[in-house]
Amino acid sequence: MNGFAWKLIGLVSKLLERDERDAVLGDLLEGDESGWRGMLDVSGLVFRRQAALWKSPRPWLAAFVVTFPCSYLLMRVSISVTCTYERLVNHKLYACWPTGHEGFPLLLCHLVLLIAWSWSGGYIVGSVSRRTLWMSAALSVAPVAFCLCMSGPGFPSRVCLFLFLLPAIFGVQRGLRNAPISSRTAFLLAATITALMISAWSNQALWVHNWALVLPAWYLAAATWRPRSGLRSVSHAGAGQI
Amino acid sequence: MLGEFEYLLITVAAGLGENAYGAAIREEIEATTERRCSLGALYTTIDRLEKKGLLKTWMGEATPQRGGRAKRMVRVTGQGMRAAKEFYEVIARVSRGASWAEIR
Repeated sequence: MNGFAWKLIGLVSKLLERDERDAVLGDLLEGDESGWRGMLDVSGLVFRRQAALWKSPRPWLAAFVVTFPCSYLLMRVSISVTCTYERLVNHKLYACWPTGHEGFPLLLCHLVLLIAWSWSGGYIVGSVSRRTLWMSAALSVAPVAFCLCMSGPGFPSRVCLFLFLLPAIFGVQRGLRNAPISSRTAFLLAATITALMISAWSNQALWVHNWALVLPAWYLAAATWRPRSGLRSVSHAGAGQI
Repeated sequence: MLGEFEYLLITVAAGLGENAYGAAIREEIEATTERRCSLGALYTTIDRLEKKGLLKTWMGEATPQRGGRAKRMVRVTGQGMRAAKEFYEVIARVSRGASWAEIR
């Protein structure tokens, strides 16, 4: 088998579980398969495994109910935060992204909200759909890619589109690791986000659709809450195997 | 009742005994049936049969021939043997009198 085909097979096989990947790659080496047949074999198995995963509603929820809409909203918040920063610090105005009357306190509030929304959304996606994460990752980048293509002059730095991705990736990593989060922490996070949102809302500095972004944090709080059951992660609350 | 491929897999795994694992089972199935057996079909069927309690699998030894990767070993359970026997008997009964079924 040539090096390129083997690398490709190795890449595709990453979608399999570790033990299965070991067994399958070992079988291919032992059978001295051609690159084409090996690729066909591994992608066939990956397809079957993925198809089985998508029979559950969880990957659909994670990808299309959480990731895609949240990414779109968070991308807008990222741009808004950048525009506000540019206006306050560099006195630069963007016609297509009016930033209203926010001062530094509201900018800070939005920055904290952006991080908290992204992290909690990422945590939920990571713990609920670990084996279908590739779809959630693609859908989280889709609005950004669309915006990158559509952006023209009068648009703030393109880097700002990715502001939400870093905290979201940290959240996903924690979700993937099944890192336990205490119900107290989860409630504190949800309550803080809600309080900050109310503050921004009362200052007319919150887009009405952004209220949807509080849902992952409250889901996290609800999932970790079990009377007298100790402090468990959301995945232990019945979410994690997909 | 078992499916055709499930029966094939169980029979081949039982025949291979201690040496039943993915690559060996696949090679034997291809040699016997003269048809291609995809790894996707093989491993998803192994999983299904294991869930039904007809097979037991575990990760075996790693060999240099396999680039240091472990084998997924397979053993047919008693329940698996009974299911295969039942399938064979049904096929034998239903084939009686069929023009293509030779009596040897």
